[in-house]
Formats: sequence, structure tokens, C-alpha cells
Amino acid sequence: MTQNTDTGDDSGDALPDGGVAEDGQRSGFSPISALNERFGSDFVESSQFWLPPFLLVGLFVYGAIIWNLLISLTDFTGFGTPDYGDLDLEMYGRALADSGFIDAAINTFILLVGFTLVTLALGLGLAILIDRNIRFENTFRTIYLLPMSLSFVVTAQFWAWMFNFNNGVINIVITSLGFGRVDWIGNPDIVLWAVMFALMWQFAGYAMVVFLAGLRAIPNEHYEAAKVDGASTVRMYWRVIIPQLKGSTISASVVLMVFALKAFDFLYSLVGGYRPPNGADILATKMVREAYANLNWAYASAVAITLFLMTLGIVGPYLYYQYNRGNL
Amino acid sequence: MGTLELDGVTKVFPDGDGEVVAVDDVDIEMRDGEFLVVVGPSGCGKSTTLRMVAGLETVTSGEIRLAGNVVNDVKPQHRDIAMVFQSYALYPHMTVEGNMAFGLEESTELSDEEIETRVTDAAETMGIAELLDRKPSDLSGGQQQRVALGRAIVRDPEVFLMDEPLSNLDAKLRSEMRTELQRLQSELDVTTMYVTHDQTEAMTMGDRIAILNAGELQQVATPLECYHEPANRFVAGFIGDPSMNFFDVKRDGDTLDGAVFDYPLSASTLDDVGDVTDLTLGVRPEDISVAGDAAGDHAFSTVVEVVEPMGDENTVYLRFEDAPEGETFIATVGGLQRISVGDEVTIEIPEEAIHLFDGNTGEAVHNRDMEE
Repeated sequence: MTQNTDTGDDSGDALPDGGVAEDGQRSGFSPISALNERFGSDFVESSQFWLPPFLLVGLFVYGAIIWNLLISLTDFTGFGTPDYGDLDLEMYGRALADSGFIDAAINTFILLVGFTLVTLALGLGLAILIDRNIRFENTFRTIYLLPMSLSFVVTAQFWAWMFNFNNGVINIVITSLGFGRVDWIGNPDIVLWAVMFALMWQFAGYAMVVFLAGLRAIPNEHYEAAKVDGASTVRMYWRVIIPQLKGSTISASVVLMVFALKAFDFLYSLVGGYRPPNGADILATKMVREAYANLNWAYASAVAITLFLMTLGIVGPYLYYQYNRGNL
Repeated sequence: MGTLELDGVTKVFPDGDGEVVAVDDVDIEMRDGEFLVVVGPSGCGKSTTLRMVAGLETVTSGEIRLAGNVVNDVKPQHRDIAMVFQSYALYPHMTVEGNMAFGLEESTELSDEEIETRVTDAAETMGIAELLDRKPSDLSGGQQQRVALGRAIVRDPEVFLMDEPLSNLDAKLRSEMRTELQRLQSELDVTTMYVTHDQTEAMTMGDRIAILNAGELQQVATPLECYHEPANRFVAGFIGDPSMNFFDVKRDGDTLDGAVFDYPLSASTLDDVGDVTDLTLGVRPEDISVAGDAAGDHAFSTVVEVVEPMGDENTVYLRFEDAPEGETFIATVGGLQRISVGDEVTIEIPEEAIHLFDGNTGEAVHNRDMEE
């Protein structure tokens, strides 16, 4: 501790040339002052605060990812221990040859893009409507945001009832309108869109809140200037207001896409098992099924790494964008 | 033609259960090419008036006529007006060129080439031709202001509306832009309604001034008329800096009986006063002469309480000898005249310079004599 206090004093007087001029005793090389110079003046002193969480996160998050990568290079399956002596890309080759994997990857991609775009559009629409000084604005805002507070499990149960072939609300409504019943969950061509709709129901409120914050940051004069400039309401939103929501759009998209990749909970609860309805298998469900139902540890790890890379592909550009704007 | 008429225009805002009258029965007629400055204290309804002309607020009653046509129910985008906002309201995601072209793209059928030509012309007029590719956030306050003006003039509208366009600039830039705006307006000869709370802008820029207080129009006249022949006590006090001195007096025969002084009036002034007995005597600070050798009925002994040297002139706070401490009035004297706190000076309030207002209604009953 005394050492820490000492270096604290020294670093205050540290000169750009690396010496600590006032203090004759410490003119020689010191690893602590060298570290401080490299990483900032209180690097060592503050380490007791950031080092423990840094190590824990490093081990349990990044360590786990690396371990996962290692396992994906083995042929580990069933019980026992993985053999780290024989590392190859066999499991990735197997994935590319597995039509189940390809289907799951395509479904993941459709869900990712479709869900994100539709939810953004709906959220933007709701936000614009709510922003136009309507009555009961706070009530509407709360109603739209409420689904966001439910867990995936509740949403899945709820929509399982809604989509039920015989007694579901949706089928009751459309049969009463004279149309035939639709097998929302059982039809492999439809189920993915039904899932997407349920997820959109849950997250449109979130997108709305993000856009609403963005809209509130735009000064009234911009609306007025656009009107006086001769723009109709639609043109005003299209050319003046929506382009200013770029930041909100990016933030909301990243969160929505990450949720889409995590849709495992939703699909798991929808059927109460590892095997989602035909046509709705995504990489997340495939990964868990391969690992815990089939004990194909190495193969599941390879799927996990693929999913990880997809996430990185989304978050990476966002971080880069924020870094360029000086926010990181 | 760009004539603009406001006929009995009233704006009432709901306020909880009650109502607030923001603009009360305002009549203004502007001829084509006129520069009218609307001036008044904060909350007097001047911005609301402008926004009604722009179509950004509805008109509760009365009529607004633009070039002879009633525009009460015409949407802002169809009014052929251009507005300059106090905050400039430049679109941050567009370049300067995009900002200036936007209005033409939305309100006209012009081809891209024509729009580009007009934008370039307007940018040259405003001296911002080299900024066309920049974003508003890269510009200084003065440059943003020029872009905002450029965006208005490129439209070539019937009427310009300006809502305190210079108030975000620093003092030096403001006086530069004031001159430039005047030059621009007379060059373009477009009817302009200009809202400000700054009376220097009101005095120097406008062909005429409209003075509003508490939603009511007080006077519409040329700047010099407003200064020398104010319609009422509010106008007299609002126009002029330092503002006019007022003394509450009672008429007693042919003298005005103030708290600490008596002021005899001549026969011609008494004619103007008629039978009003409660009066307010007004006199502008520069009309009080502090020569020191004054004598007669209109000379008074005073004590100097505060001196504010401005360089070209001194603002002197004086107190009548018999008045309690702190009850001062203002006189301005030449910057080279030596005068210091505590001095006893004799001042003269010449009768040809006084204004008299009805003490109850505030209406002017007598204004100063103007040299013919």
C-alpha cells in the first residue's frame, strides 16, 4: 500500500522524458512507473478495482469462448474427456455438409433480417404517431412497451395459445370471417413467420421507445422549417426527420439482431423441448440440441462458434461506428 | 404583389380551464417590399403573430391576407413564404447546398440544373459559395446564419418572415449582419416581417415599426415617429435607451404639481392637455440639459448619484434635491463633460422637449415639438 501511495506521488511529477526529476531515490528503472507511463498515470494504483472483474470476465467469458473454439476442433462426443491432441476443422466440414445446419443458418438469417426490419419499421411508425401530440400519450407508450417486460417463456406460451390450431384466438377470428383454419405452428412454410410476428409483438415497443427518444431530440424548428419550405407531412418525415434518426436506428438494430440470435428461449418454450417445429430450427436451437440431446459436443461447439461469428459480424461494425464517432 | 394584411387578428391559447389571449385584435397593413419590424418585450405576442402569418399557428379570429388572398386556412407549405428561425433550424444531415435546395425541390417543379443555378446564385449573394459542400455542424454561428438567410432568399418568396434571426450572434457580428440584412432586403425588395426584442434593430432596420405589448398593437409608425411622437406611455418607455424619464404629476391650474417639483406649462401645451388632471410627464435623458448655468421656471437643483461613463457620453443618475435617496432619473451628457458623484448640479427640462401622457390611460396628450 505504501508503495502505491509513493508511485501516486511520483506519477504526478512524471516528466515526458520518462524520468521523475524531483525524486532522486527513484531515478532508476521501476516496473510500476514504466507500466503507469505506458497505460496512464494511475494504471497500477487503480488495478485493485478493475483487475478482479477483468480477470473473472476474462476467464468465464473470453476463456470459455476460447475453450469452446478448442473443443470445436476436436472430435469430442459422448461421455469422457476431449482429446486435444488431434485438432482439425472436421466439424466445420460436417456442418457445411449437414442440410439441417444449412437450413438452420438460413432460418437464423431470415429471422435476423426480417424480424429486425419489420420491428424497426413498426417501432418507427408507432413512435411517429405517438410523437404527434396525441391524447393519452403516456398510456399508449406504456401499452406498447409492456410486452418487452415479459420473459420469452411467457411470450412463447401466450403465442402458443394464440396460434393454437383448434382453439387459438387467431384461428377463431379468421374462421369467423369465413376463412379456413391455418396451421400456424405445424406448417413448416408458415411457422417461421409466425415466430417472427410474435417476436415483433414483443419488441416493437422497445424500438418505439428508442425512436421516440430520437424524435424528441429533434428541435421543433426542423418540422416547422420543412413545412415552411413547402414539404408535405410525408415528405417532411422522409427527408428531414427520419434521416436524423440514424443513431437511434443503429442502436435499436443491434439490440434487435442480438435478440433474434438468442431466440432459443422462445422456440424452446413454444414446444417445451429441444426440437422446435419443422421449419423453425435456428442455429441456437440446433446448437443446444446437438450438445445436450445428442451429446455431439464438438459439433455443437462448431455451431456455437458460427453463431458467435455472426454476432461479432453485427456488433463489430457497430463498435467501429461508435469508435469513429469518439464514443468509445 | 407581396402585400400582407392582418385584419383584427386574434390568437387565444387554452390554458388549463381558462384562456390566454396571446394576440389581441391586431391590424397591420404592409405594402409590397416594406420592411416591418415587430418589436415588444418577451411574451408580448410578436412571435405568435409571425407564426400565424407563417401558418404554424392557427388564427382564432380575424383575417390574414397575403397578396390580397385570405390565407387563414392555407397550410404553411402552400403560402409562398420563407422563414428564418432564431435557431436557424438547418437540417444537420444535409450539406449547405442540400439545405438551400430543399425548399425549391419541395415547393417548385424546377429542374435540377435550375435549382443548382439558383442555389449557387443565392450562395454567392450571401458570400457562402465556398461552403456549399459542408455540413451545418462544420460552420460557425455567423456562417450558419448566412446559410439560413440563403435558404430563405433562394426561394424568392412573396414574404420573408424572420424570428429574431440575429439574437444568437455576438455583438460585433450582429451589427454587421444588421447592415447586410438591410442591404439585402432593399436589393431583393421582398416584403419582410422581422420580429425582434432588440430596439436597436427595430430603430435601424425597419421602414416601419410595429410595437406590441401584452398582445395588443400599440403603434405602427416609422422609427422616428415612434421615438419622437409615441402614441402612449408604453411606446415612449420601450423605444429609446436609456429610456424616457417619467414623473407622475397633477395638473394644478397652469402648473404640473409633482412630488418634489413644480413645472409651469405654457398656454399652447395647456391646450393639448385639456381637462385631464392626472398626468405623466415624460422627458428623454438627452433632452435634459446639465449645463450648470440654467435658470428660470424649468430649472431644478439636483444631486448626482451615479455616473456611468460610456465613452462618447455619460449616463448620469440624478436626484431632485428634495427627493429621497435612490429616487433618481437619468440624463445623458457629453463624454468630455466632467461630472462626478455627489456634485450638485442645476438642470433644465425644456418645455419643447416634454411629453405628457394621461395618467390613467397612458395615451399621449402632448408630444414634443418637432423642428419643422
